[in-house]
Amino acid sequence: MTVAAWLLRRVLASVAIVFAVVTFVFILIHIAPGKPCGGQNEIVDPAVCDEVNRQLGFDRPILEQYGLYVLALARGDLGYSFSLHRPVRDAIAETIPFTLQLAGAALVLDFALGLALGIYQARRANRLPDVIIANITLFVYSLPTFWLALLLLLVFGEKLAWFPVGGPNNPVLCPVIDSAFCLADRFWHLILPATTLGLVGAAGTARFQRAAMLAVASQDYIRTARAKGAPERRVVLHHQLRNALLSFITRFGLALPFLLTGAVLIETIFAWPGMGRLAFEAILTRDYPLVTATALIASTMVVAGNLVADLLLGVADPRLRVRTASDLDVVTA
Amino acid sequence: MLRRSYLPSFVVIVVITIAGCERRGGCTGANCGTLVNAAISEPGTLLPPSSEDVVANDIDEQVFLKLADVGMSENTIGDEDFQPLLAKTWEWDGPLTLVFHLDPRARWHDNTPVTAADVEFTFNAYTDSTVGSPFRPKLRRIASVTQRDSLTAVFRFRERYPEMFYDAVYHMRILPAHLLRPVPRDQWRTAAFGRKPIGCGPYKFVSWQPAQSIELIADSTFFLGRPGIRRLIWRITPNLQVAVQQVIADQADVREQLVTPENVERARAAQQLSVYTYRGNVYTYLSFNQRSPDDTTKPNPLFADRELRRALSMAVDRASLLKSALGDLAKVPPGPMSALLWIWDEDIRQLPYDTAQAGRRLNALGWRDHDGDGVRDKDGQPLAFHILVPSSSVLRRQYARLLQEQFRAVGVRIEIDELEPSVVGQRVATGKFDTAILSRSNDPSPSSGIAQTWTRAGFGGSNFGRYYSPDFERVVDLAGTATSRDKAKQLWRAAIETLNADAPAIFLYALDNVAAVHKRVDNVQLRPDSWAAVLRTWRIPPDRQIDRDRVER
Repeated sequence: MTVAAWLLRRVLASVAIVFAVVTFVFILIHIAPGKPCGGQNEIVDPAVCDEVNRQLGFDRPILEQYGLYVLALARGDLGYSFSLHRPVRDAIAETIPFTLQLAGAALVLDFALGLALGIYQARRANRLPDVIIANITLFVYSLPTFWLALLLLLVFGEKLAWFPVGGPNNPVLCPVIDSAFCLADRFWHLILPATTLGLVGAAGTARFQRAAMLAVASQDYIRTARAKGAPERRVVLHHQLRNALLSFITRFGLALPFLLTGAVLIETIFAWPGMGRLAFEAILTRDYPLVTATALIASTMVVAGNLVADLLLGVADPRLRVRTASDLDVVTA
Repeated sequence: MLRRSYLPSFVVIVVITIAGCERRGGCTGANCGTLVNAAISEPGTLLPPSSEDVVANDIDEQVFLKLADVGMSENTIGDEDFQPLLAKTWEWDGPLTLVFHLDPRARWHDNTPVTAADVEFTFNAYTDSTVGSPFRPKLRRIASVTQRDSLTAVFRFRERYPEMFYDAVYHMRILPAHLLRPVPRDQWRTAAFGRKPIGCGPYKFVSWQPAQSIELIADSTFFLGRPGIRRLIWRITPNLQVAVQQVIADQADVREQLVTPENVERARAAQQLSVYTYRGNVYTYLSFNQRSPDDTTKPNPLFADRELRRALSMAVDRASLLKSALGDLAKVPPGPMSALLWIWDEDIRQLPYDTAQAGRRLNALGWRDHDGDGVRDKDGQPLAFHILVPSSSVLRRQYARLLQEQFRAVGVRIEIDELEPSVVGQRVATGKFDTAILSRSNDPSPSSGIAQTWTRAGFGGSNFGRYYSPDFERVVDLAGTATSRDKAKQLWRAAIETLNADAPAIFLYALDNVAAVHKRVDNVQLRPDSWAAVLRTWRIPPDRQIDRDRVER
């Protein structure tokens, strides 16, 4: 019951936060310089722009537009994207699978590789393999993601031609996934962008995980486990790793929003039709409904990610579980 | 049994092997072929009256037809050089009436015949303010379009002028009335038709994968002859460099504009590519705002002064700017025109590059460096202004810096405002700028583009600098009514020389277009105003076809 009350309180707070973010973004994008007319690189005749703005209702007072937007939102209507000439809901629904695929693959690589490297390094702390991996991960972590993306494209896409240069599929053979071959084609197109994102993330995760593992290595319960004759594998995986997972879970919770919000630069460079690219192009074209909708989804994912992380922390560490009302502040701190 | 530790490697190898092996398709013969175009933007809609972006235009060229089209000569005067499309023949019925006879073989892709009712419907739609077509102003001299019978459309003009035929056929692609009439005009922007069009052109629409690709397939029964290439695919990439990489890596067949000298060199080095140069349709200029940015009803304190504009123009060495930024990929325009226009003439009189004379003129105007800080001043005000430039354009940003340096040499201080394109658009449209580096594209007629951008007709439109010269406008009017091309060219020359003498802008560069096309493609013709206009005549001979040409879907 207490957990339910805590959860309800968190959900209500989350709804308020999301609403505030949407309101803030709505106002900000409307008062930002630039008009919602024309493409990214062209100056459209102002008379044509005025007519378009009138038809779309952008010539009305901002409060009136906001009121209409909130009413539509309450009905589940995200509005109409004038830059894409289609409902925002449809545009977003089409990008979500692509963003999930890219971000999911990148997160798996990030956390699987990062976790494995962190554990390996911690077990060989300050020895040669640890030093080598530490330097490599620091180097990779310090690389600008866009630069790594362009480098991988140039080497593996253009020069060696091992992987496709951008796009989610081969448009000649597989404009849609309708066979195992096309599924494999999608994986093939996913490798370079997911590797770019995942490698940089894994380098960071490895460094965090190594530090967390070393922090608990000197704890009494680890020594006790070893003194009791527990196998080293059990000591590391059951006692040391579980207690070192807290920072990992926090990072995981913070990374969750990325599953739906996408990676702007990588999606743009690799021509990946995901949410990040959609949001970026919406901002450039001042597509108000699309910008606000992507902000709505991003903020929802952030608060949801935090909520999931808090729940997982409770699972990983019983000390953080809610038992009484007075514990709530501990959990939400 | 496969050891667990080898499993991930095995999966990766299988995936790469499967994906790496293209399926052998079944198409054989002369009418196979797939052309993949690396496009750098996605159209908003394919509904012709509402689509002005380049990619939408390229695709609409294939799906829809005009009544007739300009030929490779790009001559817009009279009707001699026009090629019949939907109209089989035409004739003049008096000075203001033009009669088109439609080709009875023409069919919409749903097999409905194309009729004169479609032509009438199209004109009414393009000129309806509710539709908000950007082409509407270009049709203002056509009074009406009616149908005489099912295959005869009659155009009536408000006045007589040499480009009547051009106006009648160039701006409108004929629309299927039977499909669009039920859609309320104020809902055309949202109409499903715009994302799944049905036309009467050489190619039928197949599919649109948002932010990925758009596919067309040849109409084998097309009444003007079966197109040479079976499948056309626009592969959408939001980045020029990646689009160029796709062509170089043989993952696309066409990139119609390589834009930078570096890209051209890379394309030339790719063995499977041929590089084609053709006249560009864009010119770029530094526009002087002749109205005050703070109050557009008042003259600009600097640029309302014709002599100051002239002096500043003389301080800029446009040839050296061009050489350092673009090499031989562009030309210095002799006025407000791209190389596409038939009035292009390098002998048109322009202000010379002469920094000494520029300095003397500035001195004479009272702009001297009184305080020795390297910047000229007058009445305590430094000779300084801002250049507005879109942050998305590497080339224009580079030009802004080069201009800053050249102006500095004559004692003028420049600050560069690099802003998002939408912000630049808003500031330029509302007159909130000192100077701005702008690009304009021309259609083949000098009358529409130059008049809209450099006369009073463009106030509130695309005459952003608010240039006005009664002398210039008088000669432009004469040029627009000249009965022969030679006479028109003489008058246009006089008009442009008048404008150049007033220096409302510094005309910086007119890009040549350089395209990269796969070598297996034959009969490549690129019409400067629309590279894809005659795409239906391109061919891929059977002996040059590769795997992707044979793919059946």
